[in-house]
Amino acid sequence: MRKLKLFLGPQHPGMHGNAAIHMYVEGDIIKKSYLLPGMLHRGFEKGMERHSFVNNISLIPRVCVVEPDINELAFAMAVEKLADLKVPERAEWIRMIIMELARISIHLMAYGGLGGPTGNYTLMYHAHADRNTILGFFERITGHRVYHQYIVPGGVRKDLPNDGIEADILDFLTDLENRYDEYRDLGIENPTLLARIKDTILLPEEVVWELGVTGIGMRSAVNKPYDIRKKMPYCKYDEVEFNVPVSNYSDARSRVDLKLKEVVQSIRIIRQCIDKMPEGKVRVPIAQGQSMRWTVPKGHVYSVVESSRGEFGYYMVSNGGTHPYRVGVRGASYPQGLLGIEKYMPGTRIDDAALWVDTMGVCSPEIDR
Amino acid sequence: MKSTKFSELTQEQIDRKWWEIGDFFRRNSLWMLMYCTGCCAIELPPAMTSAYDMERLGMGPMATPRQADVLLVTGYLSLKTLRRLIYTYEQMSEPKYIVGFGSCTINGGIYHDSHAVINQLDRYIPVDVYVAGCMPNTESVMNGFVDLMTLIKNKQANGWIKYKENNDWYKQNQKEALGEVKIKDEFHE
Amino acid sequence: MNSMNNVTTIKELVTKKITVLKEEVIDQYQVSFEVKKDDVHHLLSVLKQAGWRQLSYLSAVDWIEDNEFELVYIVFNWEKPVHIQIRCRIDRNAPTMDTILPIYPGAKYYEREAHEFFGIAFPGNDSHEKQLILENWDDIPPLRKDFDPKAYSDARFPKREYSNDHVEMNGQKESKQAKREERRTHILDLIKGGKK
Repeated sequence: MRKLKLFLGPQHPGMHGNAAIHMYVEGDIIKKSYLLPGMLHRGFEKGMERHSFVNNISLIPRVCVVEPDINELAFAMAVEKLADLKVPERAEWIRMIIMELARISIHLMAYGGLGGPTGNYTLMYHAHADRNTILGFFERITGHRVYHQYIVPGGVRKDLPNDGIEADILDFLTDLENRYDEYRDLGIENPTLLARIKDTILLPEEVVWELGVTGIGMRSAVNKPYDIRKKMPYCKYDEVEFNVPVSNYSDARSRVDLKLKEVVQSIRIIRQCIDKMPEGKVRVPIAQGQSMRWTVPKGHVYSVVESSRGEFGYYMVSNGGTHPYRVGVRGASYPQGLLGIEKYMPGTRIDDAALWVDTMGVCSPEIDR
Repeated sequence: MKSTKFSELTQEQIDRKWWEIGDFFRRNSLWMLMYCTGCCAIELPPAMTSAYDMERLGMGPMATPRQADVLLVTGYLSLKTLRRLIYTYEQMSEPKYIVGFGSCTINGGIYHDSHAVINQLDRYIPVDVYVAGCMPNTESVMNGFVDLMTLIKNKQANGWIKYKENNDWYKQNQKEALGEVKIKDEFHE
Repeated sequence: MNSMNNVTTIKELVTKKITVLKEEVIDQYQVSFEVKKDDVHHLLSVLKQAGWRQLSYLSAVDWIEDNEFELVYIVFNWEKPVHIQIRCRIDRNAPTMDTILPIYPGAKYYEREAHEFFGIAFPGNDSHEKQLILENWDDIPPLRKDFDPKAYSDARFPKREYSNDHVEMNGQKESKQAKREERRTHILDLIKGGKK
């Protein structure tokens, strides 16, 4: 059979983000494939060295486009560990609300994105409408829809607005929860879609350990609650009750299923947060108004946050100056995005490639930085 | 029977009339190319779906550059993307329009000192409309599209003509920044 | 308190087998060991045997004043949740480090990226010299401290000079800039007040 060289992306409706998959096919079976990253390279790690700790707050959310808050939290946690800052309790709870709202929004977006490669556009319209409501909440809380710059070292930028935002969030969550079954029926319980996503794109447990996949990919394969929020709780995740959905068979369907189940758990967490949140300050002042000249003690620290795709980490080195000496970003989709596509995409069909990228959760901006 | 009024027009004027008619239809059915070059593309799904519903302006996504009218440059352009963007732009059929999103396409924005990101997009390809902001919210994105339609109506969206007329200048700039404009895809193997 | 026990077990495990130059407990979920370059592979295989099966991060830090690169390996164990940083210094003039691919296959692209951004060679990793993220790069590796991205950007990518060649959508209205400036100076005057 004739061998062909094909590109999926960067300009392709099935490709999420600006990256390309370069593949050699025989018939419709992929024989060899590579990810071509780097089209979103902005030189972040260099840029962060050139900005002071405070200036970096505006730079970091842009590392991962779809989920900016994990960057802010991971960066803030790294600085707090280095500078030994104690975050006020209310700020921790507000951070959790923001993180879980962001998790719902990204899971909805990924779930709607499933409509792209499978041709089920109704899903996309539903999911994006709900995501838009969450972005509206973000706008009310932080003033921005996508890049919030809200979680800063020492707390959060300002308190929740005093316009009944908590009640609105709770209303929305109840509404979303009521439509949970509808969402399932539209997507993963839908027979036409099910035939497409069931038993494709398998991820066995050995592969998880070989690549170093984390997050939903890992939990869907190893059947254990390997979640940073449970294993090494940050913020106040040890004071709320939630389950980590797992499964022991990882195909495209079970990974999407886990995403939906996580949405329910996130709703549970937000309710408890709003319930338990104390009054008080939300930010400790750093350096008494001299924040541009704020120095952070020497040290090197790695801080991790559970993102929707897995372990998202910042490695930060400070040499005692106003600027970080080196900031390294561990993108959560680095293992499956680069090594996974090279090693485990060959053998699947061409039409599965877009689905592969979608359900494995490959996010190109955090690979390129 | 010959229409007396029509016969008075020169061929050039008749062509212009046809362009006006063409522009009317064109601006009311703009196909935008689905190419997310940067982070501002994250505000496109809300614009496309039920919240803002781009289709009421007559805009829709198009998968191939050959059938698309509008190229959305959504945000910063690294050199690697710029090569592919030029390649994509030259494939599009005329008339073609470019909307530049975010402050990165205008003057480099937050990445003005980065080693990988260009600072000024309209040195490399012509831009018709800029949407400012980092990132521009969906309302301004929609407003940018309406602006593009007005520009087409007023015959001011002539970036593609500029690109043809000053092709040497654009090519020279592309060469200066990129070194080599041609894409080599075999480096990965 | 269980997690603090993890840290002590790790300390025992590591110090028994390897001479540690410097050790640091960052918190109950993170320890850091600085070791010699030759001990890294041994230490990593010991840790992998003990359950630290996941390579979380691999990168380098450029200590230009000491003329050294510092390689950082971060491994993680999901059963005993402790991140272990393993750091070693290598010479900056001819930076080489043997690959850790046999121990952690996931390191392939991390090493390739470290080569691209720092110029560290990883013999044993066949593909480490190919470009990954940058394309047609013609300068020194960009994450080295002596590379100045601003100078590079200024030389290659011209900045916009603001002139009036753009189309103004509301051209007939006059600019509000002067009024705004006036208001601002007025407010500033008010803030200053009379007293000095």
